[in-house]
Amino acid sequence: MREGLFGAVIRTKFAEQMAYRSHFIISVIMLVIGDLVVPLVTLLVYKSGASFPGWTMHEALLIQAVFALSKGVAFPIFFGMVGTTLGHVREGTFDLLLLRPRPVMLMAMITGFDPDDFGRLFSGTVLFVYALSGMAMPGGESWLQFGLLFLASVTMLCAVSLFLSGMLFRWVGSSRVFDIFDAFTSFGMYPGTIFSKSMQNVLTYVLPVGLIAFVPAEALLGRSGWEGLWALLPAAGFLLLGMVYWNRMLRGYTSAGG
Amino acid sequence: MIEVRNLTKTYMTHERGHTLREVTRNLIRRPMKEIKAVHDLSFTVPQGEMLAFLGPNGAGKSTTLKILTGVLHPTAGEVRALGLVPWKQRRQYVGRIGAVFGQKSQLLWDIPPVDAFYMNKAIYGVPERQYQSTLNDLTELLSVGDIIRKPTRQLSLGERMKCEFIMAMLHRPEIVFLDEPTIGLDMIAKENIRHFIRSMNSQGVTFILTTHDLEDVEMLAERVIVINHGEIVVDDSLGVLRSRLGDKKSVRLTTESPVPDIRIQGITITERIGPLEIALEIDTSLLPLKRFIREFNEVYGIVDMAIDVIPIESIMKELYMDEASAESAAAKS
Repeated sequence: MREGLFGAVIRTKFAEQMAYRSHFIISVIMLVIGDLVVPLVTLLVYKSGASFPGWTMHEALLIQAVFALSKGVAFPIFFGMVGTTLGHVREGTFDLLLLRPRPVMLMAMITGFDPDDFGRLFSGTVLFVYALSGMAMPGGESWLQFGLLFLASVTMLCAVSLFLSGMLFRWVGSSRVFDIFDAFTSFGMYPGTIFSKSMQNVLTYVLPVGLIAFVPAEALLGRSGWEGLWALLPAAGFLLLGMVYWNRMLRGYTSAGG
Repeated sequence: MIEVRNLTKTYMTHERGHTLREVTRNLIRRPMKEIKAVHDLSFTVPQGEMLAFLGPNGAGKSTTLKILTGVLHPTAGEVRALGLVPWKQRRQYVGRIGAVFGQKSQLLWDIPPVDAFYMNKAIYGVPERQYQSTLNDLTELLSVGDIIRKPTRQLSLGERMKCEFIMAMLHRPEIVFLDEPTIGLDMIAKENIRHFIRSMNSQGVTFILTTHDLEDVEMLAERVIVINHGEIVVDDSLGVLRSRLGDKKSVRLTTESPVPDIRIQGITITERIGPLEIALEIDTSLLPLKRFIREFNEVYGIVDMAIDVIPIESIMKELYMDEASAESAAAKS
């Protein structure tokens, strides 16, 4: 039976994870709990009578659910390459990826495939269903807009993973890149309208983290309309920029001593 | 098959101190230093050859190998291998070569080697029938059998190394680069690996080897390139390399009475093994063996004696020392 590259790599990665079942199960549980902390705080805020102005509890939770869903897709598929680059560049074993007759970026991405990160998809789905249960069911148009903008959201996260991974060719061994990611994206878990106008502009045009969850959630709530699809353009641009940046940084790879 | 012309690789590195003051200063300012890893290398490798790169640590062997495998870009010079430029036509090129690094495993630690082989099959796009037939041939040749179905972490170093070779050969490469392939292995494992390499070489596979294990060189290589400070010092056959250092023999001697520290032209005491046992190096152009045996027997009484060609270790040591003393002389002048 002829198996494709993705099938073979994903199967192998699952086999690797299953070698330590308890680690896999604990990892998934920890990720689910970790991803539910901020929504739990949101829940407590609303239960205590406070709120994000202009947003009901279920609407605010919807943003956080979209955020978790987007990470649930992007982390297992794209973010493993950050860890792969971190380890391989420091140890000089990135050579082994360059010795494969495939695009290096693709190899870094698929060898970094991390199945336990799919736990985030589970917590996102639970939260998403809960958030939807407290509001009127969106219409088909809103779902279509949401689908497209969700794609833009995942694209954005893919671009971010390329920037972080690319940085590690020069900034060898810096595991703090994950903290940069958290600091950079945590603003995206809240309704953009709670920030000042200038901050909103920064989060939309400079560091477009609003694209990760806020913009798709707004579309699903029927608040933005078709003009909200403008977000597809910067997401594509950001991805392109990430790819160019990654390949440029790869040229600086010097391997390690023999 | 491989043609290298004026290959040069330089890179910049930080100069770091080790004292607290220097380390603190390095946080603010890092002086850069240019390192010439390889300089103006030129050589060719015909198809089916078994070539060894030798040299002390930091000589530039691994850098050369990394350029030849397409992993690193050179600063200057040209390389054409299998009609391709390795770093420019990397994907096309690496599909036709294999590599085994003694210190960088391609296997996956937690799962059996056969799973890693299967992943490589998909990466290289090896057809199922060819994969099965190559895998069967290689497992038989390396006598690994069921080993490939055990988790990698449960295998011995020798078993893992055999699996590394299978991993590197599954797509039937035309050139295989070996970087310290027998490092840490016991004698039997080394012999198995060498037998495998010889067998593959007899089928037309070109091998380029870097190693510090000179026994690997003696057992495998037809030709030796010695690199030191990034430059080629010797490019010749092992036989010619031996003859470059004169007609010397290695002698191990057990005598009736102890041999004192003597100064005889053509004789160097290399080791005192015991009170009545020594190892010597004799330059037979200065002191013929016949005369040496007669005179030593008369004075010290020879009980036992073994004569051998000079081990390659001694040749290399002499070569590296010549280089080092030539350099220090140049520095003084």
